[in-house]
Amino acid sequence: MKEELNKILESAKSEINKTGSIHELQQLKSRFIGKKSGLMSFMKQISSLPKEERPAFGQLVNETKQKITNIILNCEAEIKESDYKKTLKSEFIDLTMPGRKHEKGSLHPITLVWREIEDIFLSMGFDVAEGPDVEDEFHNFDALNTPPDHPARNLSDTFYIENDVLLRAQTSTVQVRVMEKHKPPIKIISPGRCYRNENDASHSPAFHQVEALVVDEGVTFADLRDILNIFLKKMFSENISSRFRPHFFPFTEPSAEIDIICVNCLGKGCNICKGSGWLEMGGAGMVDPNVFDMLEIDSEKYTGYAFGLGIDRIAMLKFKIPDMRMLFANDVRFLKQF
Amino acid sequence: MRISYNWLKQYIDINLNSKELEEKLTFSGIEVESIEKIGEELKHIIIGKIVEKTSHPQADKLSICRVDDGTDIKQVICGAPNCAKNQKIAFAPVGSKLGEFKIKKVKLRGEESYGMICSEQELGISDNHDGIMILPDDAPLGKGLASYLNLEDTSFELEITPNRPDLLGIIGVARDLSALLKLPLNLPKISLKSGKKKIEEALALENEASELCSRYVARMIEGVTICESPAWLKKRLLAVGLRPINNVVDITNFVMMEYGHPLHAFDYQNLDGKKIIVRRAKNEEKIPALDEETYTLEQPDLIIADASKPIAIAGIIGGVNSHITSQTTDIVLEAANFNYANIRRISRKLKISTDSSYRFERNLSDETAEIISKRAAQLILEIAGGTLLQGTLDSFPNPQKTNIVTLRPSRVEKLLTIKEDDKTLISYLEGLELRLQKQEKDKLYFEIPFFRKDLTREIDLIEEIIRLHGYNNVETFHKSQNIMNKRSFYARRKLQDILVSSGFSEVINWSFADPKDLDSLNIPESDERRNVAKIKNPLGNDFAIMRSTLLPGIFKNTILNIYHGQKELKLFELNKVFFRKDEKLATEKYNLTGLLTGNLNPIFWKEKPKEIDFYDVKGIVEELLTSLDLVDVDYVTSKENYFQPGSGANIIFRKNCIGNFGKLDPKIAQTYSLEQTIFIFELSIDDIFSLQEKRYPTYKSIAKFPPVLRDLSFVISKEFMLKDIKNIIFKTNPKIIKNVVLFDEFISNKIKEGYRSLTFSLVFSSETKTLTDEFINNLLKTIIANLEKSCNIEMR
Repeated sequence: MKEELNKILESAKSEINKTGSIHELQQLKSRFIGKKSGLMSFMKQISSLPKEERPAFGQLVNETKQKITNIILNCEAEIKESDYKKTLKSEFIDLTMPGRKHEKGSLHPITLVWREIEDIFLSMGFDVAEGPDVEDEFHNFDALNTPPDHPARNLSDTFYIENDVLLRAQTSTVQVRVMEKHKPPIKIISPGRCYRNENDASHSPAFHQVEALVVDEGVTFADLRDILNIFLKKMFSENISSRFRPHFFPFTEPSAEIDIICVNCLGKGCNICKGSGWLEMGGAGMVDPNVFDMLEIDSEKYTGYAFGLGIDRIAMLKFKIPDMRMLFANDVRFLKQF
Repeated sequence: MRISYNWLKQYIDINLNSKELEEKLTFSGIEVESIEKIGEELKHIIIGKIVEKTSHPQADKLSICRVDDGTDIKQVICGAPNCAKNQKIAFAPVGSKLGEFKIKKVKLRGEESYGMICSEQELGISDNHDGIMILPDDAPLGKGLASYLNLEDTSFELEITPNRPDLLGIIGVARDLSALLKLPLNLPKISLKSGKKKIEEALALENEASELCSRYVARMIEGVTICESPAWLKKRLLAVGLRPINNVVDITNFVMMEYGHPLHAFDYQNLDGKKIIVRRAKNEEKIPALDEETYTLEQPDLIIADASKPIAIAGIIGGVNSHITSQTTDIVLEAANFNYANIRRISRKLKISTDSSYRFERNLSDETAEIISKRAAQLILEIAGGTLLQGTLDSFPNPQKTNIVTLRPSRVEKLLTIKEDDKTLISYLEGLELRLQKQEKDKLYFEIPFFRKDLTREIDLIEEIIRLHGYNNVETFHKSQNIMNKRSFYARRKLQDILVSSGFSEVINWSFADPKDLDSLNIPESDERRNVAKIKNPLGNDFAIMRSTLLPGIFKNTILNIYHGQKELKLFELNKVFFRKDEKLATEKYNLTGLLTGNLNPIFWKEKPKEIDFYDVKGIVEELLTSLDLVDVDYVTSKENYFQPGSGANIIFRKNCIGNFGKLDPKIAQTYSLEQTIFIFELSIDDIFSLQEKRYPTYKSIAKFPPVLRDLSFVISKEFMLKDIKNIIFKTNPKIIKNVVLFDEFISNKIKEGYRSLTFSLVFSSETKTLTDEFINNLLKTIIANLEKSCNIEMR
């Protein structure tokens, strides 16, 4: 019996060591130690043996099975190791060849700046309000306290659809619309497209502007300067601050033009700021009581401020774009830079 | 903590149902965790009368009673020694329930029994099981026992926040309610009569640890009779979940529940040396406690001891060596206060949590000790008899001065916007027993009662005011307004972002357009896009109108870029279009327009370049629509004249066309000098928003059983659209067929003209079982049969 087992063991050894594939090895495994293998049918003879011989017999068969199993495991490890080595040889990689690209597009630089402006103000509790581009004279001029003979009302300055329908010249129109619908407290910005009848290197007939309006009890000029400076610092850098120059706008009193320290030279003077160290950024002021009165908001109880900034201009400064016309040419070699 | 409605009513004359009381408590800061009706379990137990009693012929200990239940006479077998003719008893008829035990008709030693005569223990009224419960002769026959005994009550489980130890007793809760409901608080009236003997003659008190025991009041009563408590007392305790033990112990528990301050009674005869000593334990000192455990103590633990042994772990649990037993005649009544942090430490270390430790842990007041000592003594004299010894032994080394807190009514208004006159504010706080000491301009000085140690600052008083005023009665003012259309705002950004990550570059064009563009695009005269806003003073004729489509602008951008050698283009613009007919101002809508031309992907050395085709533009459109939660859309052949015939699709959602996409007709492309194949899409975003509210996904359970995948391949006439084919397949068994994925279309001259071969991968799965091969095969057969019937398919 021992001999027979040895025979099985020997033939298993030689066959297993010959094979070189995992698949073949699996087949050999079932042939030698599987349920239908010679070894297992050998085991079945146990019942015909006298009781006292059974344990020794069983032990012998199991030992043989264990030996074959070990041979298979060793063989498997060898095959896997050699397969692995083959893989290392065959999978050649040139690390300098380009990877598979997922082409990425780009947001327009105006959109990038537009979003950043919205996000800064949203984080300070402002709402973003919208209004129509095609407006009436009331919202664009009358409600903003513009005198009937104001030059801005001329055809040479403003695009008209009809006598009292026009393309808005500033997004202040949205302030009026918001104050018509909502009573204070109001805290909004209104970014949007505006139109003026002019077209040259530094002026586009369609351009983008953002206006801010805050109306509540106790809103002061100091709040205006504070919020504006926070915005400028977040938009450009901590080094940027602003100064106000007295000016005239029909809808604010007092009114001011806003200058900021030149973002290019930080005030030293350069070609962008034309040596002055300052850049003109927009207009600001305290909402004129006439505007409140026109909209039936108690101008004794409430005060407010408003300011307007050019989005396109901020984009040009931020990305150092030299010519406004580039913004609307939509050359992908330009667009993909942002 | 549990309180009962009837007990609460003892101190405040409320008339609220349990729902109303729950609401009052919850909104004054005392959360009600649960409400339980008491007496409910006894609702079938009625008062009966034994009209006849004879002995059971087969059993000495049993008797046969005939019980009158008010309507009928029933035979009941009873084993109690004390049952007798003409007694009024508690009767549980057949069908009633005692706890989990249901009363049924039974035969006892051959005699039938229709119900049960109950003992107090069986009724859950006390531990007495010596015999049946005997009721007074005037108990009304046939009436419910629970209502006769006034057992009907409602208990409320309250969550007391850690800052309010004063609410750990029912009086505290009543006080808050009295302030809230503006009802008087009826405190128990306490008066004591004592005998001639002085307490000092019988007992000595030594407080050796005054840093841990800030007060200790001892009273003594001699000659008490220890027995069961009267029914009213047991009832009160049961209603709040406490087990009646004996009259003296029950009284200490009763007073604890009243005032929220625990007390303890010792058997005087077991006190060695006739001494009470408050001291720290010695190391390894042991005490056999009332919970039948023996605890080993350490040096920092605080105990109450007599001359030779510990008799209680201070504030936590008493010892069995000194507790009240039926033999007790003389008692020492302890009312004390202990350092809360120390109680918490010991309780945690020894893992003992008792009603007493729960309360002492929360920093009780020293002053209450004296009050509860009197109250308990009064009740003991009333209920257990005996004589009170004169005086008390009182260790109170550091009485605290009363605290004064200043309230500025202006501050109340500033913080809460509650503008009330001083009188109202004072009345709120006086309801909580704060005493106004002094009143100046905008300054109210309040003396804080001893039981409210939590009120130390002005802000604490302001909190009490708003609690009584009602948080939800504070008027609100708009501080911010919902001016912004957030949905459209963020959706526009999302669409832009999807396009950018799919390789599109955003363009921005002026809003002006050339009226000729509408002709170039073959837009019919009757089309909405012909209703344009014309500018009176334009920059030139090619800028004479406001654009009603974004296409011409993007075409011009494409021409420019191709001219500059950029032939692979993916561009989009998201901007306003304008329509104006009869209205004064224009209708303005946001449109999203995209254009694709050239190769789909940048050059990659491993793969051949692939030209953009119809399904690329459809893919991006589908992605955009999905991002707006639009899934149930249909695609129909577009009638737009600028698409190559048959290669343009309109997107239909709820019967409305919300956009289109397809291949630009090469003839039109040529008019723009565009030689490349151009694909375009245009979506009306505002139309989409007007048709559908924002939707959120709802969770669906994830399949527990593995899915089965099968492929299906057949030849089918081109007249059948994919959508219809998929429908037929799904309909065969919508519960099991989870997905039908097209993975190949094959058209060649080997397949007959007008036909195509389609291959699908089908996904099957069930929520309830693993699908067998046999089941799947049968299902597949049915699917094929359905397709053959409807579309005349040929299997491949």
